[in-house]
Amino acid sequence: MDAALQILFGGLFQGSLFAMMAVGLALIWTTIGVFNFSHGVMMMLGAYVAWQLSAWSIPLFIVLPATMLIMAGVGWLLQASVVRPLIGRPNIVLVVVITTLAAASLVENGVLEIWGPRSKQLPTLIEGNTQILGVGVSMHQIAIILITPVILGALWLFLNRTRLGLALRAVAQNEDASLLVGLNVTALYGLAFAIAAALAALAGIFMGGYRFMSPVMGADPLLKALIVVVFGGLSSISGPIFAAYLIGFFEAICSYYFGLYWTPALLFAVLILMLMIKPEGLFGAKTRGLA
Amino acid sequence: MSGLLEITNLTAGYGRIDVLHDLTMTIGAHGNVGLFGPNGHGKTTLLRAISGLVKARSGSIRFGGADIANQTPRSIVGLGLVHSSQGNRLFPDLTIGECLALGAYTPRARAQEEANRERALKIFPKLGERWNQKVRTLSGGERQMVSIGTALMSNPAMLILDEPTLGLAPKVKEELCRAVLDISAGGIPLVVVEQDVEFLLELSQHLYLVNHGQVAAEIKPGQTMGHADIMALYFGQ
Repeated sequence: MDAALQILFGGLFQGSLFAMMAVGLALIWTTIGVFNFSHGVMMMLGAYVAWQLSAWSIPLFIVLPATMLIMAGVGWLLQASVVRPLIGRPNIVLVVVITTLAAASLVENGVLEIWGPRSKQLPTLIEGNTQILGVGVSMHQIAIILITPVILGALWLFLNRTRLGLALRAVAQNEDASLLVGLNVTALYGLAFAIAAALAALAGIFMGGYRFMSPVMGADPLLKALIVVVFGGLSSISGPIFAAYLIGFFEAICSYYFGLYWTPALLFAVLILMLMIKPEGLFGAKTRGLA
Repeated sequence: MSGLLEITNLTAGYGRIDVLHDLTMTIGAHGNVGLFGPNGHGKTTLLRAISGLVKARSGSIRFGGADIANQTPRSIVGLGLVHSSQGNRLFPDLTIGECLALGAYTPRARAQEEANRERALKIFPKLGERWNQKVRTLSGGERQMVSIGTALMSNPAMLILDEPTLGLAPKVKEELCRAVLDISAGGIPLVVVEQDVEFLLELSQHLYLVNHGQVAAEIKPGQTMGHADIMALYFGQ
């Protein structure tokens, strides 16, 4: 009973973080067809921005939306500077891997320069711990487990029930036809990056509340998010979400029974197996498209 | 001269290659316009230049008095000059209903969304029956209907159709031809590229033969044109 509960909480918690990260990657891939290797540093920068705002003793309920807004702007800028000028190149996927990696390195070192190498920690969303059926859980983790589905649900509703969301999904499928119905394709590309960066920032705030922050804190979540989107398939926004929770549970089970040391190896073993059996991903169709 | 599309000395192309050379034509002075000619001689490029998908390197395109050469496709659609994209691609993972909603994206079209949807469904009743079906599951003819229906949702003041019957079975083709005639009868001036010249003649009395990126011949209303004459235009005397 104890083990099951611990795995349940661990899985939900990890899954929430992975989902928050992976959804942004998937959104950018499905709208623009590029992989954003700056996604991890967007998360890290989000955490640092939130830390700075908190350090100015701004209350958390303002810090959260303010950070997401600032990071949405940063995401937009990132897109305008290292992605948009390259659109239309034949080898865009590879070129953008390199430019976003370069941007990631710049941001990482910029953060190191501004805030220094000393580890920092963000305030938790809700303080304290609680006991659920005899298992101790922090309120911070419970808040994350509860907030994430709400945010992801809102994103799903936005993509599926609003005209702007419809436009985002359409751009992914046919750029020429999108232009011909009068969509502002460049603005939609910017919007995809802005949303992705805001969600990554939120993940950063989640993470900064229970682990020490450092300029390289985004590397591991980016890797996990990549695994999640490969595993879940990129054809929709719901695929990566389900995959994120699956992988979260897989990690929780592995680290409970085999220890943290073996978990990454097992995770990659499953991923490799997945790529051999169903390369388009668990929920993936063979084409690109959103939701 | 509202509603008139005037193209003057247009040069356009891709990369280092010009496809259209100094092309001049006037559309809308004598009702619908039909464009025909061999494949790969610039008909589609011409349409793409008109709707802003391809840059005009020189020359001018005027629609209803405004210069639209090198405007964004968005502002051109906003003026009511609507280009129905070739239906075989469209938006594979959107439903018919979503495609039509997308057609009414510009503010100009959104104001008329209800009326335009009714009109589109009247012309293509099939779209209503399959409202929640994804485009990728439709046949070629049905996709073409979605494509034209989406264009109708953009509230066109002039509608450009690029080979609406390309690759369709004769029966479906018949159905689409009738729909296109219906749209024309509803009062929307059309610009149609079509290989089937018989159909073009039924639709329009003003035809252009586009060859080597230029207007090779213009047939104005009153000039009768038989099968033999068209063959002569294609293949020489």
